[in-house]
Amino acid sequence: MECVITIELGTNAVRVVAFDLKGNAIGSMKGAYPTFHIEPDYSEQDPEQIFITMLYVLKNLLCEEIHPKNYNVISICFSASMHSVLAIDKHGVPLGNVITWADNRAKKEAQELKASSLGKTFYEATGTPIHPMSPLAKITWLNRNDPERFKKTYKFLTIKSYIIQQLTHGYVLDYSLASATGLMNIHTLSWEANALDHAGITSEKLPELVPVFHSPGKLRKEYQKSLGLSNSVKIIVGSSDGCLAMLGGGIWEDGKATVTIEDSGAVRVIGDKVIQDSNQRIFNYLLTEKHFVSGGPTNNGGVIFEWFVKQFGDCNSSVDIEYSMQNLIQEAMAIPIGSDGLLFLPYLLGERAPIWNPNARGSYFGINIKHERQHFIRATIEGILYEIYSIGKTLQEHSNINCLTANGSFASIPVCTQMLADIFNKPVSVGKNPDSNAQGAFLLSATDLGIFKTLDEAARSVVLASTFKPQSQNHAVYMEYFSVFERLSVKLHDEFEIIANLQQKRINVSHG
Amino acid sequence: MNQFTLQQGSSRELELFPHIKEFALRKNNTIQLDSFTPILSETLRCYYIVDGKFEWVINGQHLVLYPGDMALVLPGHEIGGSKGYLDIGTLFWLHLEVEKIENTSGMMLGKWSKLSEMERLTIIKILLLNNMSVLKMKEAIELLHEMRAEIMNQELGYITRVNYFIDSLFIIIARRLTRQGDSRLDFPRTFMKLEQTLRQRLAHPWSVEEMAALFGLGTTAFTEKVKNYTGFSPLNYLINIRISEAIKLLKRRDVNFTDIALETGFYSSQHFSTTFKKLTGYTPGQFRKQNASNPT
Repeated sequence: MECVITIELGTNAVRVVAFDLKGNAIGSMKGAYPTFHIEPDYSEQDPEQIFITMLYVLKNLLCEEIHPKNYNVISICFSASMHSVLAIDKHGVPLGNVITWADNRAKKEAQELKASSLGKTFYEATGTPIHPMSPLAKITWLNRNDPERFKKTYKFLTIKSYIIQQLTHGYVLDYSLASATGLMNIHTLSWEANALDHAGITSEKLPELVPVFHSPGKLRKEYQKSLGLSNSVKIIVGSSDGCLAMLGGGIWEDGKATVTIEDSGAVRVIGDKVIQDSNQRIFNYLLTEKHFVSGGPTNNGGVIFEWFVKQFGDCNSSVDIEYSMQNLIQEAMAIPIGSDGLLFLPYLLGERAPIWNPNARGSYFGINIKHERQHFIRATIEGILYEIYSIGKTLQEHSNINCLTANGSFASIPVCTQMLADIFNKPVSVGKNPDSNAQGAFLLSATDLGIFKTLDEAARSVVLASTFKPQSQNHAVYMEYFSVFERLSVKLHDEFEIIANLQQKRINVSHG
Repeated sequence: MNQFTLQQGSSRELELFPHIKEFALRKNNTIQLDSFTPILSETLRCYYIVDGKFEWVINGQHLVLYPGDMALVLPGHEIGGSKGYLDIGTLFWLHLEVEKIENTSGMMLGKWSKLSEMERLTIIKILLLNNMSVLKMKEAIELLHEMRAEIMNQELGYITRVNYFIDSLFIIIARRLTRQGDSRLDFPRTFMKLEQTLRQRLAHPWSVEEMAALFGLGTTAFTEKVKNYTGFSPLNYLINIRISEAIKLLKRRDVNFTDIALETGFYSSQHFSTTFKKLTGYTPGQFRKQNASNPT
């Protein structure tokens, strides 16, 4: 029997999944690696630890589940988080840690660029909003603030390019991840000279651009041997987590959007052209030349509810966080829709779409004497989902949305899915396989193998398990509160900046 | 409450307790300038506030202490009044000598303690790991009073009793510290601390028991939680860190294999080589050659 392997280099862990050729997951394992925050706004990981963890997990999965069942591995396809930057020297040795997507150190560089006329030109060329997390801003930061590392750098890679180079030989980057760097012209599929110029680099400093189906070469002999894989295993460079979750979610035809909420979240649509938003709020990532994934990301997804649970959940030491979370959701459901007028702005981590303001901060608004603990729980969940809705609303200015698919651990909690249906006033389906990212990587491999003729056909094969129908009377209530939410998120702009600066000052004092 | 000050060398009461450098109860009625200027502590110090309000700087941290607070000062850390004097109020203190472990920077409670060697080591490690200088510990006052009575009265079995009270004090402190971070509800944060400790002392021959003790957990519960969170058993997770650090050193090309092996916690270059090959398919030598000659 034959199988394909997908490797997802995620934010906190690598997940390796094996699929048979019918698309059933036949085995999966994960391995976590830490994130280092050596300074506020910094977020780094050890590239060697990511590599070793990936190798270890892959080996364990093969030895424990795949080889004993006599599966023959025919391909390995990669997925990765976007926006990572890893500098290497001319020997291929990392110069320090990999800067992860969540790193915000390039705030100033991004702000300056966004305020200049160049910002708009870059957005039009690359399809990527100017923000601190984009490699464009990060490399600019390195140029200005770490000239020694910058000078020694032979190439700036993403973590996936590094891992693939270690396993094979070539320095490659797929169009999907490249389209999230802010450095690639999304219309011509080549590095955008002006953006490179701004960052202070030339295209030799970047990996070679390749399509998502590209194979960078054979697995190195030593790894073939230690993993027990044959010489014919095809390495497929694959795509980004965002694009693959879209493919694996089976959302393809016009009028469909997908809502993904894990720690962070996003609302995405797929189309055959780039969406140019005059306010630069919408990202555009390229899966193939005919498939553009457009949407908006939020920093504040499930991680915000997790924060709430840690602070205000059952602190009895014998319960774990999942259990505590379920209890709180249960309690929240006793409260009427709209939390009797208690609103929550979930901007604990600053915000990307749609307000694109790293200084935004969280807030509870409208508290009155009758509000109880449970109101706060419900308001917190509603606030996270209002933010998702406001991204969807922005997208609807450009694209017709008739129905949604939800995936990710937070969005697929049934209570949350129903709330999404009510807030959007549209039917929401949930995929059968909650891991749509791995599913997407499988569909990509399967299309490469010829099992599906096109990616469109592959996407259509995804079975959606259940649909949540909107209740219009609930929608009406939510919309009354949402309009206040929306106005607050804009009105507080100046205060966000003042409070963020004060907080930064305090951090500096206590660190200094 | 009667004040007292016992000092090793001058107080006969401490002759049979060489590990106790100072034990005192002091009622401070007046402010004297420069009465508490910053000094580097050579001993492990515990201060318990009985009444009053004290403003101190311990290891660079500004602290305000109230009755019921226990302040901890580790050997090598600095302590002093924020304004250079001792504030008005009443306090106990105990200065304890800890045993240095030969050839390392490690410390442990001395052999006077009835705790096992592993526990004596772990308690100090927990103190170092938490970097917490103050704890609410109202229950400590009874221990301190009983300890004082035993030392002063010298009745049958008093040596055992005094040492028992010191052990009890540190057991309470260590348990409190491991619970303070609420390791169960916020496992990731606590795990991050462990990860840091492992990296700082990679050459140390870590055992699961030792790692679990830092969490204040038993080995079974600890192993299960780590497995759940990371996908690896604690020892396999440690191998990940060891091999990734070894890879960095191999790529630097100027460190020999034996040094790499020992620095990253393998028993020998042979043990390192076997583990490395098993995981990566390369011997360390092949790996180094590959990454030197093939930059592509």
